[in-house]
Amino acid sequence: MFIINCPFCGERDQSEFKAGGEAHIERPKQPTELNDEEWAEYLFMRKNIKGIQFERWNHAHGCRKWFNMLRDTSNDEIKLIYKMGEKSPIE
Amino acid sequence: MLNYQSSIKEEKTYSGLIVKEVVPVMKLNLRGKNREFLSTIGKNINMTLPLEANTSSSSDNYTSMWLSPDEWMIISNYTADKENNNYQIEKLLFSKISKTNLGAVTDVSDQFVMINLKGEKIFDLLSTGCPFNFNEFKKKNGAVTQTLLLQIDVIIHLKEINTVNLFVRRSFSEHLMSWIDDAASRL
Amino acid sequence: MPKNLRVKSSNFIDETTRVSFKFNGKNYHGFKGDTLASALLANGIHLVGRSFKYHRPRGIMTAGSEEPNAIVQVGNDKAITEPNVRATEVEIYNGLEATSQNCWPSVNFDIGGINNLLSPFLPAGFYYKTFMWPASFWEKYEYLIRHSAGLGKSPTKPDTDIYDHKYVHCDVLVIGGGISGIMAAKTAAQNNLKTLLLDEKTEIGGTTIYQNSDNFKIENKVSSEWLTNEISSLKKLDNLEIKTRTSVAAYHGYNFLLARENLTDHLSASEKKNKVRQRLLKIRAMKVIVATGSLERPLIFNNNDRPGIMLSSAVKKYVDYYGVICGEKNVFFTNNDSAYESAISLSKKGIKVNAIVDIREKSESLIIKEAENLDIKIYWSHTVVDTHGYKKLKQISIMKLSEDAQSVIGSRINVDCDCLGVAGGWTPAVHLFTQSGGKLKFRDVDQVFVPNKYPSKQISIGSCDGDFELDKIIKNSSSSLKDFLEIDKTDYENLSVVNSKEANKKNIWLLPSDKVIGKTKPFVDYQNDATAKDIKLALREGFRSIEHVKRYTTTGMGTDQGKLGNMHALGIIADTTGVKMGELGTTTFRPPYTPLTFGTIVGRNVGEYFDIFRRTPMNDWHIENKAKFENVGQWKRAWYYPQNNESMHEAVQRESLAARASAGILDASTLGKIDIQGSDTSEFLNRVYTNAWSKLEIGKCRYGLMLNEDGMVYDDGVTTRISENHYIMTTTTGGAANVMGKLEDYLQTEWPELDVYLTSVTDHFATASVCGSNSKKILNKLIPDLNLSDENFPHMSFKEAQIGKIKCRVMRISFTGELSYEINVQANYGKSLWEQCMEAGKEFNITPYGTETMHLLRAEKGFIIVGQDTDGTMTPIDLQMDWIVSKKKYDFIGKRSLYRSDTMREDRKHLVGLATDDPKEVLEEGAQIVSELNQSPVQMLGHVTSSYFSPNLNKSIALAVVRGGKSMLGKKLFIPMESRTINVTVTDSVFLDKENERLNA
Repeated sequence: MFIINCPFCGERDQSEFKAGGEAHIERPKQPTELNDEEWAEYLFMRKNIKGIQFERWNHAHGCRKWFNMLRDTSNDEIKLIYKMGEKSPIE
Repeated sequence: MLNYQSSIKEEKTYSGLIVKEVVPVMKLNLRGKNREFLSTIGKNINMTLPLEANTSSSSDNYTSMWLSPDEWMIISNYTADKENNNYQIEKLLFSKISKTNLGAVTDVSDQFVMINLKGEKIFDLLSTGCPFNFNEFKKKNGAVTQTLLLQIDVIIHLKEINTVNLFVRRSFSEHLMSWIDDAASRL
Repeated sequence: MPKNLRVKSSNFIDETTRVSFKFNGKNYHGFKGDTLASALLANGIHLVGRSFKYHRPRGIMTAGSEEPNAIVQVGNDKAITEPNVRATEVEIYNGLEATSQNCWPSVNFDIGGINNLLSPFLPAGFYYKTFMWPASFWEKYEYLIRHSAGLGKSPTKPDTDIYDHKYVHCDVLVIGGGISGIMAAKTAAQNNLKTLLLDEKTEIGGTTIYQNSDNFKIENKVSSEWLTNEISSLKKLDNLEIKTRTSVAAYHGYNFLLARENLTDHLSASEKKNKVRQRLLKIRAMKVIVATGSLERPLIFNNNDRPGIMLSSAVKKYVDYYGVICGEKNVFFTNNDSAYESAISLSKKGIKVNAIVDIREKSESLIIKEAENLDIKIYWSHTVVDTHGYKKLKQISIMKLSEDAQSVIGSRINVDCDCLGVAGGWTPAVHLFTQSGGKLKFRDVDQVFVPNKYPSKQISIGSCDGDFELDKIIKNSSSSLKDFLEIDKTDYENLSVVNSKEANKKNIWLLPSDKVIGKTKPFVDYQNDATAKDIKLALREGFRSIEHVKRYTTTGMGTDQGKLGNMHALGIIADTTGVKMGELGTTTFRPPYTPLTFGTIVGRNVGEYFDIFRRTPMNDWHIENKAKFENVGQWKRAWYYPQNNESMHEAVQRESLAARASAGILDASTLGKIDIQGSDTSEFLNRVYTNAWSKLEIGKCRYGLMLNEDGMVYDDGVTTRISENHYIMTTTTGGAANVMGKLEDYLQTEWPELDVYLTSVTDHFATASVCGSNSKKILNKLIPDLNLSDENFPHMSFKEAQIGKIKCRVMRISFTGELSYEINVQANYGKSLWEQCMEAGKEFNITPYGTETMHLLRAEKGFIIVGQDTDGTMTPIDLQMDWIVSKKKYDFIGKRSLYRSDTMREDRKHLVGLATDDPKEVLEEGAQIVSELNQSPVQMLGHVTSSYFSPNLNKSIALAVVRGGKSMLGKKLFIPMESRTINVTVTDSVFLDKENERLNA
């Protein structure tokens, strides 16, 4: 059980949150222009890194806001939390 | 004529704790982001919405609670008329906010049941089923938090020391009260 | 009558309060403060159980939670009896009943003991090797093996005890109330930190609290006296909470810990009545100080498991703490100075110590000198090569160690002995530290793993950090606390400490014997009967990873998780393979540290609190009118309302007929309702639904289908435009929270530019749905002011109204195909609304119907239920709902996926209707559908998703998903059942009123 520092509400127990998978995968603006492979890339392909991973989290049982998290999946250390819409600090 | 029937029928007393539902209480959910939204609300209910996370503000008639950077709940400090649910303030704010696209105003009076808890054992009870850290919260008048109690979403408002208003969605309230009754009996 | 084995000197036993208890059916007595183990020992009983595999007699080995042998069954009540309890942890109370486990018919005569004679034929992996063939016989073998090997008896009735959970938040958590834990707790609490101190024992104080030797002094006081003073000043601190009888079970990341607080297990039946038995503490600590101490190691030698062979530290605790003598002819066997402390404790109380056998050549220290002064015979450079006595130790044989300590020389010396205290050094209790993700390092000098890298805000202090001597414990704990708590000073910086200093160390993991190893039984894991030779066999057979050796030999896999023997197993592997122990590492330490009862884990989440339920505002009416309920998501929904002993089928048939013939009423309050406001709402709805929303007029309703981005149907419902930028969306009952979450996700992350606000109002409104040809008349009685004419209030439209001064919203929408109105009022008026509908509908025989009838009525109309007729693999095209998918809209969620090669396949499963050849035959939902009966393998075409007997059509109807079903209209298919085959024909999925004439009846 992590403690997650919601960028709006502060430190809360993990049970208040929902994980939302990999971050910074933008929905294509013009899906109909994509061929099947390009669309499948957006739809299905996700990294599953042992190590530092960009993730989306939602404070589902608190302020309901989504935010981004940089987490080391090998030891669950949360390196960084930043708001939705803010650019990823590390590329 | 429709009769009013609240969710929780009786007041309960335990060692160090009194639990009762307060009804009818008007509750409005307010949404908005910009300064004009805030000032319009301020002008019309004569109170500034709290901007600091996990806090509340109150005036003679209303208490407003921070729920998220663009969401508040305001409740009436006095109980309303059981035979009339046309709230003037809702109409006013809806026309000033929703109609003008400054934000959203939604009546949630019966979305939430307001359970009033009084006594020095409040946080012993809550910590039986809630992962939130109340150590600082319980000392801070007006503090507000949204969290999980018994895995049910709740809003907890510390009205004053040893007095808490607990808001829970109505459909869960019977179950939650039964759980409170069980847990409080062991305090 | 056994001799008096009590010495009068204990401060911890109340000898004025006699406690009687039963062990294996016989009555005994002990004193208040005794554990079952100390009371049994005081009664001269060592033999308490039989070992797991060989059924060898076993006695009490330890005085703590690490006990591998003395595990007993407590209680004989079928509801609350508990197996696998450590006798060393059970506090006795009047009426306690305990029995030995793993022996039949009795501990003194155990038939399974024959396994001991067979033991040459029962090596490691014996069961795996022998019972693998033929594979189909395994179940039978397993039954016999389990029967003969069972560890205790499970309760057979529901647990009547109460268990609870509690979340605890503190600044500093101190685990372990020994000397370093007490120092830590006092220091933290003095510095204004909210501190929690936990200890698994009855009282805090650790081993120091009974250390009465002049060789260990702090500030010129005997260490126990000094500590007693510390404890009394500790207990005065007000931001400190001390919980004893509380065992930390698990240490997770982010300083989240689980601990079991034992509240009533030490009380008699009448005292514990109606009290919480155990409480699981869910602890969040800013900082954690681990002061769990260390566990004494046994020594591994031939026949090292007989009753009477105990840890040297346990012998000391029994005499110094409990005032109980474990033997009259005591011998100690050691590789370090600790055994001398125990020997001195006994000697000073006038109890004979026959000898100390020490594998070291020679060593000098304060306590060795004292032992010599007490005339205790010390055999330097000797080892125990064998022990004698079956149910109780009688004699040991010792021999001199060779120079390289690999073998023994000379001849056997036999020493009479009924209690052998073994001291193999100390193992830091790093279990919790490693559970938390901490990494260990190996310290060669004394062969211990000690904490190296902390994964969270924590430190280990005292002997769990590898400090074994009093002066070091105090000095290092004090300086660690200063750094860790970021404080200037502690009370412990310049204490004068006197203690005996150990000069020499020597460690041999497997001690040699004069017999070849194949003829010896050096037990490494006492509980699972794994011996050193089993480990060596595993290595010979090619196992290398310690995790594999552990599982093959079962070393460390008992309920004690090998707290005593795991280090020796590692040592033997290292010695045999030549790999250094530091490189070998340890096996994984897993929670719980000591076993937890299921009751503690579950807490109060039993019975009515097992799962959360939700009720509608009309719930009381449903109960008063004898409704049967069904679970829909978390909701309790009225399922059907049986009258006069009707069966479910009869009730549903009656309700279904009545709803179409005249009037029916359904509680639809559970549907998800989302209030949507904002200037971009139309655009938003265009993006989330498959159909077009821009042109929906104010006051009109529209059905919408929502897809996932993969094109599969996700949810459906009716959305109403209340005013220009104000809509109310309904969702399915089960999908409400998910839909809300998904829409918020898109708004916040993909389309933050849209001015749209979502607010859930599911619970704010109670909804009564009145349907049937007479519904208009009923509504007219209820709300006379409302103009219900088809011109003013047509199908798929909305009106605001008032009942008295109570505002309500009325939608003319239909899920049954009948003329139908949904009335929404604020929830607290819901029950009254329902009652008034019933009153107004009385003359029209208004019939309340539940979810089952609702399902039947909609199936007659071919309306889908998301989650029943769909399963996350159906597109709207598969559902033959092409009409709802806008071709004009540029984009909506899931649109692109409808044009993927896979979603455009012709042979996808499609939703169709099925008609049985026999109209009375009702198909089973889930039944598989085939087109060829004699095919092998049979090709499944799909399955039945909904099936009912329609009273309105007087025949059975079914919906099904069938591969390529769209082009199969009229085709004969088969449904093979267990005993017969049902013939069906593919039909249209709308069975009743295709022209929708009833909507305007």
